[in-house]
Amino acid sequence: MLSQLGFVVLAGIKFGALYALTALGLVVVHKATKTVNFAHGAFAMLGAFGSFLIVVNWGWPYWAAYLMIPIAIGVIAATIEFLILRRLRQADMFTVVIATVFLGIALSEGFRLTYNTELLAVPSLFAAPPFIVAGVVITRDTMWVIVGALLAALACIAVFRYGRIGRGMRAMAANIRGAQLCGYSIDGVYMLAWFLGGVLAGLTGVFIAPVTGVSVDLSIAIITAGFVAGVIGGFDSPRGAVLGGLLLGVAESLSAAYGSSAMKNCISFLLLFLVLMWRPQGLFPERSGRSV
Amino acid sequence: MRNLDVFGSTRSAVTVAAAIGLLALTCSSTAHAQDNGVTPSEISIGAIGALTGPLAFIGTPGRDSMTVAFNEINANGGVCGRKLHLGFEHASSPAESIAAVKKLVEQDKVFILVLASGSTGAAAAADYVRQAGVPTYNIYGSTPIIRNPFAKNVFHGAVVPVEVSAAALISMFYDDGYMPKKFGILAGTYAFPQATLKAAQDILKQKGRDFTVEQFDIGARDFTSQLVALQRQSVDSVLVLGSFSEAGFAIKQAREMGMANARWVVDGSAVSTAIIPILGNADGIRGYYNAPAFPGQTPATREFEARLKKHLGSMPQGRPSVYDLIGYGSGYVVAEAIKATNCQLTRDHLIDAWSNLKDAGPAVLGGLDITFPESYTPTDHQGVYRIGAAIVKDGQWQVYRVIDKP
Repeated sequence: MLSQLGFVVLAGIKFGALYALTALGLVVVHKATKTVNFAHGAFAMLGAFGSFLIVVNWGWPYWAAYLMIPIAIGVIAATIEFLILRRLRQADMFTVVIATVFLGIALSEGFRLTYNTELLAVPSLFAAPPFIVAGVVITRDTMWVIVGALLAALACIAVFRYGRIGRGMRAMAANIRGAQLCGYSIDGVYMLAWFLGGVLAGLTGVFIAPVTGVSVDLSIAIITAGFVAGVIGGFDSPRGAVLGGLLLGVAESLSAAYGSSAMKNCISFLLLFLVLMWRPQGLFPERSGRSV
Repeated sequence: MRNLDVFGSTRSAVTVAAAIGLLALTCSSTAHAQDNGVTPSEISIGAIGALTGPLAFIGTPGRDSMTVAFNEINANGGVCGRKLHLGFEHASSPAESIAAVKKLVEQDKVFILVLASGSTGAAAAADYVRQAGVPTYNIYGSTPIIRNPFAKNVFHGAVVPVEVSAAALISMFYDDGYMPKKFGILAGTYAFPQATLKAAQDILKQKGRDFTVEQFDIGARDFTSQLVALQRQSVDSVLVLGSFSEAGFAIKQAREMGMANARWVVDGSAVSTAIIPILGNADGIRGYYNAPAFPGQTPATREFEARLKKHLGSMPQGRPSVYDLIGYGSGYVVAEAIKATNCQLTRDHLIDAWSNLKDAGPAVLGGLDITFPESYTPTDHQGVYRIGAAIVKDGQWQVYRVIDKP
């Protein structure tokens, strides 16, 4: 029984780490630009597709996907910011959010039109046998996803908190005019935020590709989970996004295993509503609380 | 008389009246021909199926392979001096299926309607096609809803009724002397897994076997909860009713949980080459197959693969699938049914001819022999009762025995 519980929790942490990385990408863009990027799921899907191309189609090693895909998706995201969203900067928030929603749909449908297949399978990263710790089977892939995704998330938080780039983004979020007076360029910071968001989405895609395969539905699945994780943790808090993702993953896994499999889908929305009603700033907000 | 003056003479008036009458008759005749989808140069066949979304793995091969078959038939002169024209409508949900079928029947006025949509679309369209009376060919749906009650205008091709496929699936657990102790069934909550689930449950109850059922939503990728439940029940034989991606990720996760020694049998829709890259090593997994040989297993299936690839440009992962083979074979069955009318191209003649069709298949009209032959009687419109038992060996699916109406 304990080994089953261990496996369920581990599976929850694995998916939670992926949700955390997704939520972090959303939070980074939102924190710097005040835009909720609903195209983030489509960026992650493109990242997963990129790893299919590199690993399966071209037969290149996995590390090439981990190096190239995040940068490529980051460049795509920054280009979209430059070409499309920059022109909408003066528009109201609703217009920008709708633009990102339809941008995501356009990217997903573009992928569907060019590669019309139900699922593209990407092989596991490791072929070696799993570890068994106290009766719990731990595959190397599971370990890699958990450790890799969480380390990437922590690195991003560190950059955001202590790096000059992060300071610029936080300054822009706090007071645009003030940040400009301090020498930060709106264009530069916004583009950088979208680049960083794209990098995180690309990384999520590479991590998730062997876990779920690549399909158009991936973009919706990942953005939904990432958004819920972000709200639970606190949409302005990178640390909250990571903790929210882990909490969501484990809650989903436990409720499905010890409640009903149908509960897996509703538990995330139940958590979302509970947090919005009783703690709209999220469970782990930044020091200065802010409503979602 | 004044009217006659307009034409100059009575004789002229008669000539003009005759011409008008002839024209009206011609127009009426043309309109009649177009009413049933047949023109002097073309026979219109309409089909529905999902081209995008989670069920696209059924509809897309249907469209592509029927097109390959019709292209071959047309290149050889067509049927009854006419080319076969396929109009394919995307339909995924029940509502879309009904709308697409109505459009094809009422607006496009097709001669034959092909349901290439699997059980979801077939079940949704069942009542309408029975009422409309248009010759309907259900090529992928295993659901009983399209089969019962019997309708003289509805024919069912290579996909066998769920009772037949469920019995075949259960029989595969006992192959090679394996004796299951407890069955677990992982079933999707959508139409076709549910239809097979009910039939499988009935068989297991009749046999007095111990079993447990866990369900998952369409497109599921995380099966932790269902697998934990199966593990708790000490299941040693698992039947997966769902698509190849669902079955693939379920089995992959089960292995990670230490359920590697269980026997896995998957539904026909999961018997696809695409399940192999998901699992890495898929050897030993079994499932039923609605064709006598897997792509790559015989020269005919290899030739089909080459022709499909030429048509598509490049072969998508997991293709050709069984839906490709069936689509191709069904295209030829349609042509044979039309030919069997002796070119009396009315719907009534077609239904009569189709009801007496024997051993129909691509080979009869010079196509590739890659499907089970289809035979019909006026009281039994199920064309095929045969099914192939398939297994993954050395990373390749192969049919290892043919089951005749288990």
